[in-house]
Amino acid sequence: MMSDENKSCSTPSSGEPTTTRSTAPMWIIVLTLVLLFVGGIYFDRHSGWFDAKVYAPYASAETLDAYQPQSGAAAVLAHGKKTYEAVCGICHGVDGLGKPGQAPPLAGSEWVNAKKFNRLAHIPLMGLAGSIQVAGKDWGLNMAAMGAALPDDDLAAVLTYIRNSWGNKAGEVIGDDIKKIRAQIGGNAQPMSADQLMKMPE
Amino acid sequence: MKTGFSVFLATFVALGASWCGFVLAPVLQLGGAKQTVILQTTDNWPLQRPGEATLGLQIYRANGCAACHTEQVRQTGVAFNLIVTSAGKNPDAVLKAISESEPNQSKYTEHVIGFPGVIFVGISKEQADATSDKITAAGGKVETDLTATGADIARGWGSRQCVAADYLYDQPVQLGSLRAGPDLSNIGVRAPDLNWQLRHLYAPKSVTPDSTMPSFKFLFEVRKIGDTPSPDALELPLEFAAADGYEIVPKPEAKQLAAYLLTLKANAPLYEAPFTPLTTAK
Repeated sequence: MMSDENKSCSTPSSGEPTTTRSTAPMWIIVLTLVLLFVGGIYFDRHSGWFDAKVYAPYASAETLDAYQPQSGAAAVLAHGKKTYEAVCGICHGVDGLGKPGQAPPLAGSEWVNAKKFNRLAHIPLMGLAGSIQVAGKDWGLNMAAMGAALPDDDLAAVLTYIRNSWGNKAGEVIGDDIKKIRAQIGGNAQPMSADQLMKMPE
Repeated sequence: MKTGFSVFLATFVALGASWCGFVLAPVLQLGGAKQTVILQTTDNWPLQRPGEATLGLQIYRANGCAACHTEQVRQTGVAFNLIVTSAGKNPDAVLKAISESEPNQSKYTEHVIGFPGVIFVGISKEQADATSDKITAAGGKVETDLTATGADIARGWGSRQCVAADYLYDQPVQLGSLRAGPDLSNIGVRAPDLNWQLRHLYAPKSVTPDSTMPSFKFLFEVRKIGDTPSPDALELPLEFAAADGYEIVPKPEAKQLAAYLLTLKANAPLYEAPFTPLTTAK
């Protein structure tokens, strides 16, 4: 076959040589695909998806965010998130949507989004017994005083976090506020009911 | 030529693809670049240069400074330093937390006895986070400093890598590609003295004896001292000084170039290049 072709090009009897179409060899196609695949992996790892703010050694915008020095509000929220996920997230969910049969949602909850946080702060400090209305649903569940053992600053950070996450937009809570509320509670460690909470100042 | 259209199409696609890569993509990415804000402040970055320094950029360009000097600090990584600012009420627990923490076994550790003190130098983010959590749990107060790493940083050429924002007012940008001399991104931080800059331009060896930089004498004027000596006259060591009765005075070009060099400061922490700036001890 090969020799025939050479012959047909070199012998004058067959006239002018012409260009013909021939199929690309399989190995070139395979090599191209392999190179494209490797290039795709390299692109994914090193391009930062062409974000103008992302430079090596930061791989992506998320990595860069994680490396930002944290202070003030961002640090409080980050600390609150970490504490929330360790202490509260098991029942209320890391997405704040609650879990049926375990705990009501915090996202969009009127208790969390109240103007003041006096009633809200009493729940983790004292615990909750009996039914409570959250977002139009009745939740007949008990909650232990999960926040009683947390330091003031940590609990304040958690409350700030849940009041400012998942679409919630309420104010900040600082450690001194928790300290005051704790002092009011004193040694009274009985879980509250929703009715008792409603009688307190908001 | 029956393949003419195919050849045209292939050429068009090849040139078009490279145009997209070299022109379109950068314009889309950085064409709308604006002033940005220095981290944890409300200060803008970068600031427009004063007029004299803007002219100085053209002197820098005309004299081919970028042939031997770069204006780009590179960075290969990030590292954290951990500082315990206060041991709280229970220093023993803090000490225990430190001795149990992971970076203690690594070769980068540096022990400091007593608080406040730098506990670890050059550790990773994961190590820094884990250790600072442990120390905080033990009642101590911790600060983590973010630092850039890399050969350029180790040479003292800057505290972070250069990013696009640093060049916002450079027209044209003098990146440079060869380092016969040091990188100049932070020369305004390293040598903030105008007279030093002028002496260095006139006679580089008078301030750095090992310098291989050529003298830029033509930016200066040697003239007879008149009734009153010029206030701008250079004060040089004897071997470089002018003959008796003469003084060396910088021309406007030299002053503009020096003014430009003094504005070269890529040392503000930015979102895209974060680091913890050195602060005075509290």
